[in-house]
Amino acid sequence: MREPLGRRIAKWVLATLIVVSTMLPLAWMIIAGFKGKNEVLRTPFQFFPDVWIWENYIQILGDAAFMQAMIITFIGAVLFTALSLTVNSFAAYAFARLDFRGKSLWWAYCITPMFVPGMAILLTSFVVVSNLGMLNTLAVLIIPGAASAAQMFFIRQFYLNTPVAIEEAALIDGASRWKIFWTIFLPQSQGPFVVVGVGSFLAFWNAYVWPILTIQDPQLQQIMQYLANFRSDRGNEWGLLMAGSALAALPTILLVLIFQRYIVNGVRLAGMK
Amino acid sequence: MTMSPQLTTHGATQRIVLESGEPERKGRRRREKVKVARHLMDNRTAYLMIAPMVILLGIFVFWPLVYSFYLSTFEISFYTDPEFVGLQFYRYVLEDPKFWHAIWIGAQYAIYVVPIMLVIAFLIASFIRTVGIKLAGLLKTTVYIPTVVSAVVASIIFVFMYRSDGGIVNWLLSFVGLGPYAFLSNPDLALPAISVPGIWLAFGITTLIMLAGMYDIPESYYEAAQLEGANYFQRTFYITIPLMKNVLLYLLVTATIGALQQFELPLIMTGGGPTNATMTPNLFIFNTFKDPTPYATSFSLTAALILFFVLGTVSVLIFKLINSDKAIDG
Repeated sequence: MREPLGRRIAKWVLATLIVVSTMLPLAWMIIAGFKGKNEVLRTPFQFFPDVWIWENYIQILGDAAFMQAMIITFIGAVLFTALSLTVNSFAAYAFARLDFRGKSLWWAYCITPMFVPGMAILLTSFVVVSNLGMLNTLAVLIIPGAASAAQMFFIRQFYLNTPVAIEEAALIDGASRWKIFWTIFLPQSQGPFVVVGVGSFLAFWNAYVWPILTIQDPQLQQIMQYLANFRSDRGNEWGLLMAGSALAALPTILLVLIFQRYIVNGVRLAGMK
Repeated sequence: MTMSPQLTTHGATQRIVLESGEPERKGRRRREKVKVARHLMDNRTAYLMIAPMVILLGIFVFWPLVYSFYLSTFEISFYTDPEFVGLQFYRYVLEDPKFWHAIWIGAQYAIYVVPIMLVIAFLIASFIRTVGIKLAGLLKTTVYIPTVVSAVVASIIFVFMYRSDGGIVNWLLSFVGLGPYAFLSNPDLALPAISVPGIWLAFGITTLIMLAGMYDIPESYYEAAQLEGANYFQRTFYITIPLMKNVLLYLLVTATIGALQQFELPLIMTGGGPTNATMTPNLFIFNTFKDPTPYATSFSLTAALILFFVLGTVSVLIFKLINSDKAIDG
């Protein structure tokens, strides 16, 4: 039975309204990137430019510091994602499938950081990394945040629900725990790995405060640092800044679009009403 | 809140916790079975597998945390050795009007952001539940996109949108005969203005969590209600809201805790001004960190720890409540 026409139209109107108002800031950023210097701040206001120009996008892509920041942040984000997936999935597997002495104690230890707000340890974390000589290295961005209680927790939930039968068969065949992890658990982990992997990548890509504290070397400048500096140093070049912001937001939006199947449907509440 | 990547996941954390209710208990039961079936313990393998995590958390979370506590009880100065002062700094912080002003700003920000965001998310989620699968997919992806935009990019976009010349917000307001306003330099408007990107960044994930909660409600309840002639509002207030009590409570608390910790938006958009009208607690603490006077370090650390006690306790309590059996029967 089809819905009445009026209702269907009302639904499409409402849906369009939601899409337009959600996307307005992003659309506005992209369009402003296509405006020339004399159009971008023009009064009276005009939504679309008279002349669409590519100049801002071409110019910001030709800016060596911008490209350097994009590339170094991308490399850092990939390394960070790989490291955090490794560290967190190992621990997740141990807590989900192995019995060992002191397990509940270690569990409490590994899960407590979920309740520690960043601000409470920001300054002393800075002191720790500077004592370790990590300032102005890519390592200071990658290593301190790699172990994540939340991500470990998420992967563990998934491993808890994996059936035991295959694992026990493999154990009887004499497979080691490592072999079971590599051959049985890892190949099945695509779903949760995509969700937490994308989360790690985004966290690294979007990070701002930690980089401004620990990175002064312009060679290692992170993309969000670059944008914030651009805004305070060359704040009146709005067209260029919007083009740069659009390009800097692009990888994160692409990630969502590519993995939307996993991420958007990954939000599920089991057993809560 | 984005600091080190570790800290950034804090928001996401809460979402994941939510997804854990049922499997947690099932898992526990199953694990006990495994224990009986298997006779060897896996101590060595297990320790090797948790070692990287345990070591990293030790160095980059627990040590800084202990160190923060230690420093909060000492007065540090460049000229003399650190002097033990007990809980004196806690008293200083609690007696400082600037600290309470920041708390008040944080509370106001939470009042602007949380209710509006929850209502918007609830309405959008209710709508998505009624549309076809294709349109629902499109809408879910669309509302999720702002969630992945960084606070820095959002700040830059909204600063541009709020401009009094060439800004789109003032242009839109001119159609209803208002403005132009200098949003970010007016003490009365700056905090509400900052709340808008705050809502925009967070409503998407909230919508998806609510939607997941709504999908869990059996369709038959609504069909029965509709047969009885219940309208949308009756269905919402007598079916949806009572059955989603836990999800809503959870979202309310986590959104409030998140809002109270907001500081990247004011840091980039206004720097806490004008006249401290957007000086949120974490921005206040962050700015005091950078103050070179000797007291400042211990003072700001202590303020951060006080917030940690309060917010950490609330998080733990909520986590327990949500995961306890008591909360499920609602």
